[in-house]
Parts: sequence; structure tokens; C-alpha cells
Amino acid sequence: MGMLQPILVYITLAIAVGFIVRKFFLPKSLFVSKGAHKRKEKGCGQDDCGCH
Amino acid sequence: MSKQINVALIGNPNTGKTSVFNQLTGLKQKVGNYPGITVEKKEGVCKLPRGVKAHILDLPGTYSLNTTSLDESVAVELLLNKNDKDHPDVAVVISDVENLKRNLLLFTQIKDLRIPAILVINMADRMTRTGISLDIPLLEEKLDTKIALVSTRKGTGIDRLKELISEYKTLSRNPNVDTTVIEPSYFERLKETFPNQDLYKLWLVITQDVNFMPIEKMLIKDSSSFTTKSKSELKRLQQKETILRYQFINGILKETYKIDIAAAKGFRASLDKILTHKIFGYLIFFVILLSIFQAIYDWSGYPQAIIETFFASASEWVKNTLPPGVFTNLIAEGVLSGIGGIVVFVPQIAFLFLFISLLEETGYMSRVVFLMDKLMRPFGLSGKSVVPLISGTACAIPAVMATRTIENWKERLITILVTPFTTCSARLPVYLIIIALVIPKGRFLGLNYQGLTLMLLYLIGFGAAILAAMVLNRILKIKSRSFFVVEMPNYKLPLFKNVVFTVWEKTKSFVVGAGKIILAIAIILWFLGSNGISDNFKNAEEIVEKRIASEGLSDFNRSNIESGLVAYNEALRDSVQNEVYRIDAAAIADSLQQRKEALFETAKNQEISSFKLENSYMGYMGKAIEPIVKPLGYDWKIGIAVLTSFAAREVFVGTLATIYSVGSDEENTDTITQRMAAEVDPTTKKPIFNLASGISLLLFYAFAMQCMSTLAVVKRETNSWKWPTAQLVFMSTFAYLVALIAYQVLK
Repeated sequence: MGMLQPILVYITLAIAVGFIVRKFFLPKSLFVSKGAHKRKEKGCGQDDCGCH
Repeated sequence: MSKQINVALIGNPNTGKTSVFNQLTGLKQKVGNYPGITVEKKEGVCKLPRGVKAHILDLPGTYSLNTTSLDESVAVELLLNKNDKDHPDVAVVISDVENLKRNLLLFTQIKDLRIPAILVINMADRMTRTGISLDIPLLEEKLDTKIALVSTRKGTGIDRLKELISEYKTLSRNPNVDTTVIEPSYFERLKETFPNQDLYKLWLVITQDVNFMPIEKMLIKDSSSFTTKSKSELKRLQQKETILRYQFINGILKETYKIDIAAAKGFRASLDKILTHKIFGYLIFFVILLSIFQAIYDWSGYPQAIIETFFASASEWVKNTLPPGVFTNLIAEGVLSGIGGIVVFVPQIAFLFLFISLLEETGYMSRVVFLMDKLMRPFGLSGKSVVPLISGTACAIPAVMATRTIENWKERLITILVTPFTTCSARLPVYLIIIALVIPKGRFLGLNYQGLTLMLLYLIGFGAAILAAMVLNRILKIKSRSFFVVEMPNYKLPLFKNVVFTVWEKTKSFVVGAGKIILAIAIILWFLGSNGISDNFKNAEEIVEKRIASEGLSDFNRSNIESGLVAYNEALRDSVQNEVYRIDAAAIADSLQQRKEALFETAKNQEISSFKLENSYMGYMGKAIEPIVKPLGYDWKIGIAVLTSFAAREVFVGTLATIYSVGSDEENTDTITQRMAAEVDPTTKKPIFNLASGISLLLFYAFAMQCMSTLAVVKRETNSWKWPTAQLVFMSTFAYLVALIAYQVLK
């Protein structure tokens, strides 16, 4: 039971670091699937509008 | 036998197209005042001079030939299809005199289809009231067409229109704009593939389904010679076409369309005269800004106090309810402190957006744009730059995107580069907390100092943007012509729903958008501040207790305990004198002793946590950058906050909230501001947050480019890393130098 709290802390930390790295340091294209791209084109039709 | 010609009535919604149709045909049709009233094709017959009959079609309203809806596509398909029995011999383009610029976009597109086109300028009766004057012969010459100045309300100009329709064969079929210049190579390939086709018509057919639905096209076996890579590329070319058309229109309207506000009449005109007056206009704008910033401070106090108490109680509740351990500490000290440090500023941010939204809804913002144009022009900006600059008070990202309305590339680039100087909402929490720490709460002539300081910071940001624009205007060697045409909406009472929606959306996007980043950084910072590998960190309690035993507490803590005891003693004696308590002298001495011990224990724990923090991972990082920030009056803790806020400015407050709550036993009772105010420089023994370091910090944040997302948007809008890099280097260096000078002068 005593080990649970440190484990939770490390999991939370890993999620936080992962989020920051993904947000600021990795290119967005790595996370865009083909399906998502298709949906985007059907959306407003403008790739550089910043709305998606 | 009389001839019958096809006439198409086309125009933007709300230009009075249906009224013109009624007056030409005599048919009665309902006329509304909302877009899209003519959702289907309407037809009628009109008798023209010299025995000519006209079959009149009232087409659905459309803003351009780049359609976005089904009813708009009806109009475009008819214009493109020569085989349609209703294909017009002449197009009558209806425009509204007050919105001529927007209406002419559609006119130039129809003209470029080589369809004979007559321009009807409707609502001519409003010209006197609005102070508009038109040089019709020159406008006819520039647009290569014939114009009928019409007032459907007064029934004037219809005969002239009928005359022009009957003489349609004399109308020029020459295009207004050479669209091929937007991408010469593309149009060259198109011409090679379809040698006998009209290029602009082809271009409209190709781009038709970019916005809406595909129309039937001829199948081409090999389309590789002219097809573009993607729809987004076609969309980009379409945007270039629109900009090209507006450049053409602006050039013409500059010579032919004048608004003399002094000559305008009526309530709206009278109000316009005052609000756009060259002295009163600026004065009113200044007073409105001043009132807004005063209200932000005066009205936000109570909700902020409630939020602060809520987060302090939540932190305490978590500690008392969850089992003790590191994860409980993370929730109580890292997560809740970080988020609480931002949520506390929601009332002020909501009030700011409430006022901005009210100004936009009433129509006043357009008057500000008009007013500021004269002021902006000498600095290489246009009145339209005011929209991004004011939008920048919310967030630089949409503001940079809002520069797309500026047709002139040089003005647009300058606006993009200087917009991040304006005070965005992310700076607001930083300003608010520093102002609360270093600016006294007094009032001068009823205006509180803190509100005045906040307004001054907004003006500094705006001033920096203007000065930077002036410098860039001289440095950048980009040749371009500049025009300014703006639509003035009618004054109206703000719609409650719209205002509430805007405030909700903006505040939510700030809290949710920034909140995720702040939460993640708060967690990382808490970890770095609560862990360390050195012996000093591991044996912090033992080391500090030994030091206190031999040297005693720090001077600050000693004086803090003394003043705390004096205050407690006075309060106790007052209570005894007022017979709140009935206790003897011995009991008073005993109570004082207990208080002293409690204060000593608190001070000892604070020194232990401070020592641990200094020897944690975060402490080492902070110490590494301390030589850089020390000359600005910052300690390593502020240095860490400045460093992390390069991701986004608002992270500064969350970081400090996390740093000062780490290991502290007082976070449950002290707010973050009080905790920061108690911070003392170990060498000078003076508060860390004093007037000199506070002003230095405020100025650093006023000028520094600390937002990764804005840099990314600037890169996208300028299509180059050159401009965002220059922006980052220049703004950061400038901010450092200004903060350095401010601290060194004021310390």
C-alpha cells in the first residue's frame, strides 16, 4: 500500500511530461492519422484556418 | 415582333435586390431585412424603352461566386452555363451604397466572366445622411461599365436602369481583373490544356467544389498538367484572388468614394461625429479604457476572495481526507496550487472580455478602427491593424490570424510582427499578482493606483507595438500601395445572449487551453521541487535544526515572530479589557508563550522547506540560471518561473504558486500573494518582490515574446521561420534590457 502513492506520482509525472513534449516539441504531423486528415478536408475545407 | 432579353438580378444579401425586382416588374413580393430571403429563382417581365421586353430573374443573394451554400450555387451555375435557357444577356448587379466595397467583389467577378454587367448602386437616399459622395463618371470609367444610382425607397433611378438594360449591347465585355497573375504558371498550363476556353470560367468551375458541392465537369484523361496538389492549395489561390480583387477595388474607391462625416446628418451621424472627432473621439476612447480598467479591479475583489478561499480549503481537505503520502502532497501542493493560481484571475478576465464584447456589439469598435486609422498611418499601419491589436488583448493567436483582412502585405507583416506586444490575457495574471505585491492600494482622485498601473501597462504594450511598427516601416523595403475602407455598422443595443456567449467562450478557452499546460507544468515542477539527490536535500531537517540551534532563526523570521507576538499581545489585551475573555496575567503570559512556540515552529518548518527547495532538482536548475536573472532583481525562484513561462506566459503564476507552496505548512492559511510578499533576499534581507524588481518583472513581461503557440502561428502566416525567429530574438533581448535598466535605476 505504501508503494502505491509513489507509483501514482510517477505515472502522473510521465503523463505530464508526455503532454508537454507532444505539445511543444514533436511535430503535429506525427499525431494526425489518415482518417483524421480526411475528416479535416470535409470540414471547413481550409487546411490553414487554425480551427482544427 | 418585340425582342425579349434575359436579365439576371444578382447581388449581396440585404442590398434591396428584391425591391429593385418589384419596381422593374411591378410584381409584389415580400421584402425582408435578413439574408437569404430569395432562396429560389423568381422571375417576371419588364417593359423597356424601344419596345424591348426583359425577362427578369431575381437570383438568390450571394457575396461572391465562390459559393458556400445551395442557394448561392443556383446563381453561379446560371452564370456559368451558356446553354441554360435563362443564361443572362445582361447581369444587373445590385449594391448598397454604404457597403460598396464588399459588393464590388461580386461585380468584378461577374465582369470577368465577360457577361455584360450594369452596376446598380441602391439606397442612394442614404448618401446625404451618411455624408457619402460618389464620382459616378469616374467610377463608370474605372469599372468599365454603366451605373444606375437608385433609391428603391423613393423610386428614383429605375428609369435610368431600364434605359441602360435596353442598351446592353453597348456594354463592355472586358474583364476588370487579370486573375492569371495570382499563379501565372498554373493558368498557363490551364490554357494549354483547354486552348478554347475562357480561363476565369475554368477557374471558377475548378474551384467550385472547394467550398461546396461539385458540379458536373468534363472528364479529362490526363489532368496532371494543371491540377494542383490539394484543395488547400486551391483555397490558397482563391484567397489570393480575393486579395487581388480588393486591391483593385480599394484603388478605385479611393478616388471615387468619399465619406464626409462632417456633412452627415441624423442621430447616427451626430453620434459618429462625436465618437470619431479628432479630439473628443480620442478623449472618449481614453475615458472608456480608464473606466474598464478601474471596473476590472473594483468589481473582481469579492469573487476572487471566494475562489482563493475555495482552493485553500480544497487543499486542506485533500490533506486531511486522503491517506498521507507523496501523491496526496502532489494533489494538495502541486495540482491545486497550480490551478488555483490561475482560476483566481477568472473574474478579472471575464470582466475584460465583457467590456470588449459590449464595445463590439454596440458598433463602437468600428468607430475606434476609423478613428485610429489617422493615428496609425504614420507608423506603417492601417486602421484595420487596430482590430488585431485590440484582439491581441484577448490572445495574440487569433489576432495574428485576423491580420488576413489587411490587403497590403507590408502593413499586414508589420501588424503580425508587432501584435504580440499588446497585452494579452495570458499576461493579465502576471500583471495582477505583481501589481498586488508592489503597487500600494491607495487612491488618487478616486482612481486606484493598481488600476492605473494596469492601464499604463496596456498603454505601454500598445505604445511598444506602435513604435516597433514605425521602426519596421522604415527598415522593411517592401513597396506597396495602401488604402483604407471600413464599414460602419449601425449602433444597436448589445444582445445579452451574444455578450454572455463571448465572455463564456473566451474565459473558457483561456482556462481550459492554458489550464492543461499549467497543470502539466505544475506537476513537473512539484516533482522537481520535492525531490533531490544531494545529501543536503536528504538531511535538510537535521541540517536546518542544527543551524537554528547554533545561530537561531533568520533575521526575517525573528522580526516576523516579534511583530506577530506584539500583534497577538495587543489583541489579547484588548479582548481582556473589553471583557471578551476573563483571564489573569499568568494565563496571558502562558498564552503568549504558546503563541511564540507556534510561530517558532512555523518559521522553522518554513526554513526547512526553503532549504529543501534550494537543494532540490528545481533549486539546482534555478541556481544555474540565477547569474542571468540576478541583474534584473530576480532570485532563482523567479528565474524558474520566467523560464517555464516561455511555454506560455500564464504559467508564471502557476509556477510561483507551486514553488511557494512546496513543502510549506502555511499554504492553507496564506494566499499566494501573502506568501510571495514574505519572500526575503537572504543577502540583502529585503523583500524579493519590491518596487524595483516588481517594475522590472512587469516590464519584462510587457515586452518579452513568451508564447510558443504565437511563434508557430506567425510562422504559418508568414510562411517562413525568419520572422518568428527575428521576433523572438528581438523581443526577448529588448525585454531583458528594459527590465535591467528599470531595476538598476529603481533599486
